[in-house]
Amino acid sequence: MKLLKFGLRFWIALTSVFSFMVGWAMIAHSPKPVQPISASSSVLALPTLTPLQPLDFNSNTNGSQSSPLVVQSPSRFAQAPIFKTGGS
Amino acid sequence: MQSMEFRAMSTSVLLAAEGHDWAIAGLNAARRFIEDCEQRFSRFLPESELSQLNRFSGTWVTVSDDLMDLLNQSLDFYEETGGLFDPSILTDLKRAGYDKSMDEIRAHGVSSLSASKRTSRPAFNEIGLDPVGQRVRLPHGMEIDLGGIAKGWIVEKAAALLNTYSAICAVSAGGDIFFVGDPSDGSRWRVEVEDPRRPDETVAVLHVGQGAVVTSSITKRVWNQNGQPRHHLIDPRIGEPAESNWLSVTVIAPQMTLAEVYAKVLLIGGAGEAERLCSQRPEIAFVAVNANGEMFCSQNSKEYFDALDYIRF
Repeated sequence: MKLLKFGLRFWIALTSVFSFMVGWAMIAHSPKPVQPISASSSVLALPTLTPLQPLDFNSNTNGSQSSPLVVQSPSRFAQAPIFKTGGS
Repeated sequence: MQSMEFRAMSTSVLLAAEGHDWAIAGLNAARRFIEDCEQRFSRFLPESELSQLNRFSGTWVTVSDDLMDLLNQSLDFYEETGGLFDPSILTDLKRAGYDKSMDEIRAHGVSSLSASKRTSRPAFNEIGLDPVGQRVRLPHGMEIDLGGIAKGWIVEKAAALLNTYSAICAVSAGGDIFFVGDPSDGSRWRVEVEDPRRPDETVAVLHVGQGAVVTSSITKRVWNQNGQPRHHLIDPRIGEPAESNWLSVTVIAPQMTLAEVYAKVLLIGGAGEAERLCSQRPEIAFVAVNANGEMFCSQNSKEYFDALDYIRF
């Protein structure tokens, strides 16, 4: 019985070490991640985009001189409102 | 349908969208977009991108994608219309008295420095556009006013933004309208065309689908200069307010900038230029009204009238 226990422990220890070594070797020999292309003068810089508007439209985070949001409650129509055109 | 009205670009803006909470969020987003754009493209705000470009004529100026897009489109339309559409008439416009916003002119009248003599100016196609470097150079002495084309561009972009919140929506700035989708009751969008002589009255009712409806008129932005009535539509050929045989032209087109440009050039060119201009753009339809209230319509405009309305012609 003692011999069986010892053998089992030895087997578990051996397979653990072996698995660890195999994993190490696989990671060590795996391909390197792709490096980002360094910026050069021939590459155009992308334009800076303006920040996206927050989804909370009830608070004015703009900080500009525009009037506060939802200064006017939207009206509801059963049908589309009548549009007029005549120049401005 | 939800709607919202407010004032921007010296005119009344109406937004409409089908839906509930998302539609309301869309109305607010579209409103904020329009107000931001006005800050960038107004010639009356000294810090706007357009004012800075005008201030630095003769040198290369880095501009935004949006301004570059507008200038590219303007140049294409300038060539296409043989110079009848010309954003570089700003010096003539100022000389005619339109050197401050229409709200200010209505309140205080025109400046005393107006009505000077016309001087020669470079042609608009002498503008330098460098799309790769995102730069623009106005020739010395050139100032530009993007006016209607910028308004149309803003309206269509605002409608596209609103469309991300609502499948069926519309944006109108002073009656220059862009529609997305058809109303859910199966009808088409109803647009009343004002009588240019009496704005409270209607001369026609259009029933349109997705696309643009734009009207140019010489009876709205008007003022007196040394006792002479003036309006804001400059004929680039003479550098003076256009003497057209039409009072207003309404154009129906797939895109706003196209509708804005053709409403303006058809009004400036009048009946004499209409056939030539429309032959190169079969996708546009127009309705013009003269001083007697008579209407002149392109053949393809009939589809936008109900039978009952059409009987009145």
